[in-house]
Amino acid sequence: MEPQDIYYNKNEYVETASGNKVSRQTVLCGSQNIVLHGKVIVQSDAIIRGDLANVKTGRYCIIGKNVVIRPPFKRFTRGIAFFPLQMGDHVFVGDNSIVSAAIVGSYVYIGKNAVIGRRCVLKSCCYIEDGAVVPPETVVPSFTKFGGNPAKCIEDLPECTMDLMVDFTKSYYQHFLPSKV
Amino acid sequence: MSALKEYKGSRYIAEKQVLVIDVGHAYTKFGFVSEAAPRGIVRSEIKCPNTDTIRNIFSYKDQNDLYELLVEFLHNIFFKRIMISAKDIKVVNVESPLVTTEFRNILTKVLFRHFEVGAIMFLPTHLVTTCTLACQTILVLDVGYEEASVIPIYEGVPILKAWQALPLGAKAVHKTIMKAMQEILTEEECTEKLIEDIKVRTCFVTTMERSAKLLTDNPPTPPPNVKYFTKRSLEIPGTVRESAFEKLWERDLDNLSIPTMILDSIIKCPIDARKPLAENILLIGGTVMTTGFITRLKSELEHIVNSEPYSEKLTLRKFKFHTAPSKPNYTAWLGGAIFGIAADLPSRCLSKEAYLETNHVPDWVCLIDNRKDDGENIEY
Amino acid sequence: MAYLRQPEYVQYSCSCGSLKSISKIYFCRHCLSIRCGFCVCHEVDSYYCPNCLENLPTSEVRLKKNKCSNCFDCPCCLQTLSIRLGQSFSVSSQSKSEEESKPTTKKVYYLSCSLCRWSSRDAGIPDQTVATGSWKEQENPYSNRVNALINYYKILASFEKQQKERKKFHIKRSFLQFEKFGITSAMARKRSGRPPLTQAQNQTVTTPTPSVAEENVDESLSDLFTKSIDITRTTTIDQRLQHPELQADTIDKLRPQKKQFIIKRSQRCRTCEHNVSKPDYCSTSTKFKIQLAAYYHLPEVRIVTYEPLQFGKSSELLLKLSNPTQHQMQITFLSLETPVITTTKVQGVVEEINKERIQMGCDSPNLLPSAIRQTAVIEEVKPIIVVPNGEILLPNSSFTLPPKDEAAEYDELNVPQNFQDDPKVVVWRNSNKSVIRLHVLPDVTKSSGDMPETVIVGFVMQFSYINTIATLEHKTPQKLDLRVKLYLTLDNSSKIARTASMLK
Repeated sequence: MEPQDIYYNKNEYVETASGNKVSRQTVLCGSQNIVLHGKVIVQSDAIIRGDLANVKTGRYCIIGKNVVIRPPFKRFTRGIAFFPLQMGDHVFVGDNSIVSAAIVGSYVYIGKNAVIGRRCVLKSCCYIEDGAVVPPETVVPSFTKFGGNPAKCIEDLPECTMDLMVDFTKSYYQHFLPSKV
Repeated sequence: MSALKEYKGSRYIAEKQVLVIDVGHAYTKFGFVSEAAPRGIVRSEIKCPNTDTIRNIFSYKDQNDLYELLVEFLHNIFFKRIMISAKDIKVVNVESPLVTTEFRNILTKVLFRHFEVGAIMFLPTHLVTTCTLACQTILVLDVGYEEASVIPIYEGVPILKAWQALPLGAKAVHKTIMKAMQEILTEEECTEKLIEDIKVRTCFVTTMERSAKLLTDNPPTPPPNVKYFTKRSLEIPGTVRESAFEKLWERDLDNLSIPTMILDSIIKCPIDARKPLAENILLIGGTVMTTGFITRLKSELEHIVNSEPYSEKLTLRKFKFHTAPSKPNYTAWLGGAIFGIAADLPSRCLSKEAYLETNHVPDWVCLIDNRKDDGENIEY
Repeated sequence: MAYLRQPEYVQYSCSCGSLKSISKIYFCRHCLSIRCGFCVCHEVDSYYCPNCLENLPTSEVRLKKNKCSNCFDCPCCLQTLSIRLGQSFSVSSQSKSEEESKPTTKKVYYLSCSLCRWSSRDAGIPDQTVATGSWKEQENPYSNRVNALINYYKILASFEKQQKERKKFHIKRSFLQFEKFGITSAMARKRSGRPPLTQAQNQTVTTPTPSVAEENVDESLSDLFTKSIDITRTTTIDQRLQHPELQADTIDKLRPQKKQFIIKRSQRCRTCEHNVSKPDYCSTSTKFKIQLAAYYHLPEVRIVTYEPLQFGKSSELLLKLSNPTQHQMQITFLSLETPVITTTKVQGVVEEINKERIQMGCDSPNLLPSAIRQTAVIEEVKPIIVVPNGEILLPNSSFTLPPKDEAAEYDELNVPQNFQDDPKVVVWRNSNKSVIRLHVLPDVTKSSGDMPETVIVGFVMQFSYINTIATLEHKTPQKLDLRVKLYLTLDNSSKIARTASMLK
């Protein structure tokens, strides 16, 4: 199925020189610690907690509505420490998801209403189903589809996942257009 | 040519692992030959590729449907569970002698045609359990999901004439519980999975004395209720817990139950085989693992054999039970894992070449395979 | 990615008869036909731990029974356990006075589940002083007995093997293990007072002590009727079966289980035995050594939009086609009845493959020497179960798809392409993609009365394919016309059915 055009309010979104489209209705805490590597879409009411630790995304990342991106913490004997959150290229995070992973690889699809527990590692080319709850410190290997609560490997992904994901994020970006009115 | 031979040699130098698989109606046991326990026991169900629903592999509609279900199911076992390339390996298939020919043929077809396994060795469930005991004379009672079956083995030979089978297995128990829990559970909660969980975690087989009183006006105090949690909290009544397995002991319309099956089977055996059989009973299958099962079986047997009509036909008064070096739910598998050592021998297997040539699976009910053997006998 | 999220609207028919979306099929460049997961031969390529991603060679994996020695699964919720650092306080016994006895801390490790909060401390497993490697697995209580039995049967098997070799000229007919020495012969022996055969033969082998049947069955049932059960302390069947040897019935008897490895698979075409997919050995890599997914070789067809379907009325259907190859493609639509494999060219190719096979033989790394290769076992072609209930009106003319140009997307200016297109068919063009217009007519006869929810239409697509595999004789790439059968599922109830005017 060919993706449909998504129209946004031109006044709501800021487009940077590198092609990032960021909604004004977002909460970007500690924006000096947030790096969006270009052609990234951050949709309304998303929260990125750069104040806790660095958040870096690659190119063509799509952050859905009401998404919370929160660097993970680890408890030590003398208090807690936050770790930076890294995201690769071509990552899609569906609406209302909470991502507290340590590393999100490239070509990763995270569905709607998913919860990625703290310090998870999502390797490149993996898929988290809608509504999945990935328990803390889980490693999601490449070419696997995780789903359910607690999330488990459901099936394998096809070998061409990488290009499917590239195509998906690129065409999402291309179809994300300012409304003509 | 010599280079080729060397190549071949190095390729096969590592002894290939022989897969032992026991496909049951509810659970499938799989692992390797000469290992003491299966690598895994999984539900015999798979996500159907066409409908995306989880289906039991025995819920097939037709042969093509079964073929596809088995392909998916075995693919999952080969590549997700035991992780072995299926091509050219040897498979030991532990199967009930009562399995349908259709299922058996399709399973063989899938293994040879789809997975291209090298050879299959067929072993009948009841008989291979003798290997786990190093005994030659055993009466085997297998209570699985679909049915309970008895086959006596005398001096290493199954007395097929004396076989008994009744649809008294976990399925019948589940039905009883489902009926009893009808008012407590909502319709969508009432799944086989939940019922099974209730059965496994809370139910038991009660004693004969208590059972006799259960239906009288003065029943014994039921065991305590159990608090159970699904999405909500509910209570499993003690009466349900106690009476879940009663179905297996109640006489049906033909006056048959699990204990009478054993006695009927013994009666059909030659007279001098009866005593040794009664004193060498082995229970296998998941259902016999229930607390109290063996106690109940023993007291039922002793009671029935002393009453009419068995007291006249049989002079037996003693029953003895074996304990296999395994949990009963994988005893048959273990037998396959031990006897499967003989899968090295080409004569004991059906090879891929032979199958592809004839497209025929040897079967004990088929006369082509069952004519008198003129070859030499090599026995264990 | 739409392929992973949505039902398969566009299905390609594989040469084995399965219908799958383009993301799940392969294109074998050697036999020039479509293969899918159902009709290729899967092979285990490499093993790795899904948690620590450690690669291990096959021999070691076998030794470790496919389990990682460092990572554990929670016995309760089956999630990965994390290794935690704790401290144990040990009071030195020499110093008696209160002030001096500063507890000395020692680093210890324990396992804990971050999901269900199970921990090795609760289960009574002592803490370890090293993080990995020292956690003990539970032993199978029956292993000694079983090993004795196995050894016995091993001897028997080798005994039989020797005997077989001695009497090789005898041919055995029956495959059945036990029937051959039927009950009658056993009974006859017994009656005549001869010992059963088994004893006579096994004198050389020390038989393991046979199991002894017990008359007393030890089951303590006394408190069964009075003791209440705490359901949270009893294990579920899944937890029990996780460890088949023990199948503990209470939670406190559960022990952590070593994590099972997962595998990378390579796929091999069954007809020509070339790989259609072979992953990199490294567990963290997502690259492939050989990647013949159809997504990179066949023209991709996607449904863009269509008008609501009505009986007796043709509706517009817009399809987007894209060419993933580096070569220009000529595409023609043919009716569903057209046979898929016809071209004589393909036949020629097959011969070539055979020649190539003989000559390359042992040199090719992904081919076994032809001498030890067996004849391919081919499954029967499955009948296609889908029945189209609509007709699709196809254009007679063919059209061209330009090659994929990676640089084009960075090119701001789209170079206008000069193609003699039929404006009625081709609606839109951009680099290697184009949108075409077709018409769908739901079939009245195939459905009873009501408009069906989904209309399925099918057609055959012929496309030109440049085979770039350099064979021995042909150094120049060959141009071939290949055909593939496609089925489109048009869901009439969904929102996708909209007026075609939405497309610019």
